[in-house]
Amino acid sequence: MRVQEGNNRMAGRDQFPIGMRVLAVDDDPVCLKLLDTLLRRCQYHVTTTNQAAKALTLLRENKDMFDLVISDVHMPDMDGFKLLELVGLEMDLPVIMLSANGETKTVMKGITHGACDYLLKPVRLEELKNIWQHVLRRKFTHREKNTNLSADDLESDKLPNANPLQAQGQHGQNSSSDNSGRYSKKRKDQNEPEEEDDGEDNGLDNDDTDPSAQKKPRVVWSVELHRKFVAAVNQLGIDKAVPKRILELMNVDKLTRENVASHLQKYRLYLKRLSAVASQQASLAAAFGARDPSYLRMGMFEGLQSYHPLATSNQIPPSLTSFQATGGSLLNRANPATLGLPGLSPLPNKSLGSNPLNELNKFQLVNLPGNPNHANLLNNQLPNELSFSNITNNALQPRQGAAAAPFHPKPISFENRCLTKAENQALEIPSSSNDIMGRDMKCQSSLYNEESKLLSFGGASQNNARVQWRQDELHESSLLLSSYLDSRVPNNNFNAMADPITIPATPTSMVQGLNGGGLNQRESVATSGMMGSSVNGLTGMTNYDSQMKQRDEYSLGVSRVQGGYGSNGCSLDGLLNSVIKMERDEMSYSDGDMGCDMYPLGACM
Amino acid sequence: MLMICYSLYLIHNLVLLRYHLLDCYYIEKSNRMDYVNTRRQAASMRKCLFDQGYLDEQFYQLEDLQDDASPNFVEEVVTLFFRDSLRLMANIDQSLDKCAKDFNKLDVYMQQLKGSCTSIGASKMKTECTVFRDYCRDENIEGCMRSFQKLKREHSVLRQKLESYFQLLRQAGPIECATRPSK
Repeated sequence: MRVQEGNNRMAGRDQFPIGMRVLAVDDDPVCLKLLDTLLRRCQYHVTTTNQAAKALTLLRENKDMFDLVISDVHMPDMDGFKLLELVGLEMDLPVIMLSANGETKTVMKGITHGACDYLLKPVRLEELKNIWQHVLRRKFTHREKNTNLSADDLESDKLPNANPLQAQGQHGQNSSSDNSGRYSKKRKDQNEPEEEDDGEDNGLDNDDTDPSAQKKPRVVWSVELHRKFVAAVNQLGIDKAVPKRILELMNVDKLTRENVASHLQKYRLYLKRLSAVASQQASLAAAFGARDPSYLRMGMFEGLQSYHPLATSNQIPPSLTSFQATGGSLLNRANPATLGLPGLSPLPNKSLGSNPLNELNKFQLVNLPGNPNHANLLNNQLPNELSFSNITNNALQPRQGAAAAPFHPKPISFENRCLTKAENQALEIPSSSNDIMGRDMKCQSSLYNEESKLLSFGGASQNNARVQWRQDELHESSLLLSSYLDSRVPNNNFNAMADPITIPATPTSMVQGLNGGGLNQRESVATSGMMGSSVNGLTGMTNYDSQMKQRDEYSLGVSRVQGGYGSNGCSLDGLLNSVIKMERDEMSYSDGDMGCDMYPLGACM
Repeated sequence: MLMICYSLYLIHNLVLLRYHLLDCYYIEKSNRMDYVNTRRQAASMRKCLFDQGYLDEQFYQLEDLQDDASPNFVEEVVTLFFRDSLRLMANIDQSLDKCAKDFNKLDVYMQQLKGSCTSIGASKMKTECTVFRDYCRDENIEGCMRSFQKLKREHSVLRQKLESYFQLLRQAGPIECATRPSK
């Protein structure tokens, strides 16, 4: 593989499209050489590789190294479509597919996977002369989306993340939230919110908090409140539900339209995730039986309630409420959130804010100590939980990370509390939630350990797709995972994950690292298989990415997850946040302080 | 008397000189002619390859890409092609021998080979690749084998022709060299 450093990157940029940095991937050496020469003839700056794995490594090394990727469809080491998705998810770069095969269905597949163009071999110079338009177009798209965002410059690569939440909610209610303008549609191609939202998330959060009176107390979405919210939404119809009307229907004092808007966004994301996961997890759900979602949820909620003392903010409640709406899954989620958080231990990437960190720690601790107890509780309730706890334990352990240790004492109590409640609640878990649970578990588990990355769920969760689950989900999944994870958990060593690319096709890759409980919502879900290998702690993204590859659905992307971890795991408050965050996380992992950011609802005290 | 001898001598020398110069001229001319001939041969060979369908427009693209920065681009690419295609064909051979029914694998290999052929502009080979893939789709192992034999023949024919072509080109050499006297 010939790599040419982009020394003149800056220079090239000024004279765009001259000097545009292209990464070309093709296993055919003849074609690659031809492509290389053609691109040079167009005065682009070319880097070539014949292995998709190397390409991903290059891209991950420095997100800012390339403007565009051209990739062959049929490659021996990785499917071109998978590479396409991963690049889109993680780096949000325009990707052009190249193939000798010009069948309509193949082309369609390329476009649906997010390619911005599909060229047929033999590729001609005239066609290549115009590929810069994709880069430019993406820049403009992002720019528009981000107009309101305080953060982010409109430089292409970072743009996409305008508002993860918004992006999700774009379908419905852009207007509903203040941030609607701000959020850019992450990627039309992608189904899942992109993780790229790092920047955006910050922006979002900032925007949320800054304009809307930082001093506003956080809104706590209690069960009651959430129930009202869901009722209102159902009454209006999920598509037609606008924050304003929801607010009217709910008829609650001191609740602002913004609060509702952001909650709605999260809710939507949550629903989306559920549906995606549900479809995949059907089998998984069955495996888990009806357990748990409901009671987990309840338990979690309860736990959260009890957690209040520990948590500074009530972020959990909101998330819980949202869960409730969705049914059991929430519970699951909540659990992980609480449980998982501990494991979350600050993500390497994300800087955990002090709050989040604390919270995370809390969570972490909770898990750890609680795990044993928790495990018992869980066992009764759900195998998942047990597993989760195991995972968390494991996850947490390695994670001990900074804050974890000191917090131990607290978490235990919390956890126990949660668990107990969960047990009590066990009965309530709706069957549907099982699915979710399973999924969540997976997700969560994956999320659970960012570092450990994918825990192979061991088939529990077939969902690869939605890693997005927040911690809550993570929790659920982790529960599931835990059973599987036991074997895997050891991964805690983040570094382990050696082989990002070749994650075995285990169906669910649970992110083991998720100690935190599910920051990796996304990841966990995705890989149901025995990501065992992956379990070894994919270090950060790479592993995650690889997992993702397998999963396809890692919309969240590793980066996100990691970011998310930081933020999610951190705070108990963040539990709810995490729940909500799950939705948001997808978009923006960037912020470190998850807990706080999670729920822009403000303080609902 | 002396003058006459002397002038005769001069005339003789002049004549000799003239012939000498003429010789040089002719020699040089023939050198040039050789060069021109070689070039002409190469050109006609190239035309032949196109006319007979061995090469298609893609080959023009390759030639266009050859410039001062990459003076031997075409030959390099073609060499790369033949090396890689040999490897692919060996794989196909092996696959046909061992797991004769693994049509998917054969199809994958053939797709790669076809991609290479299209990049080069190897028209006849590309056509044969398509035929092979059709047989694969129909799971017609006999057809596959026949087609593959034909493909191998096409491959070696094209290889010979292109090798001769490049040899001619090399002989012809850059234009500047042709003007130097052979002596």
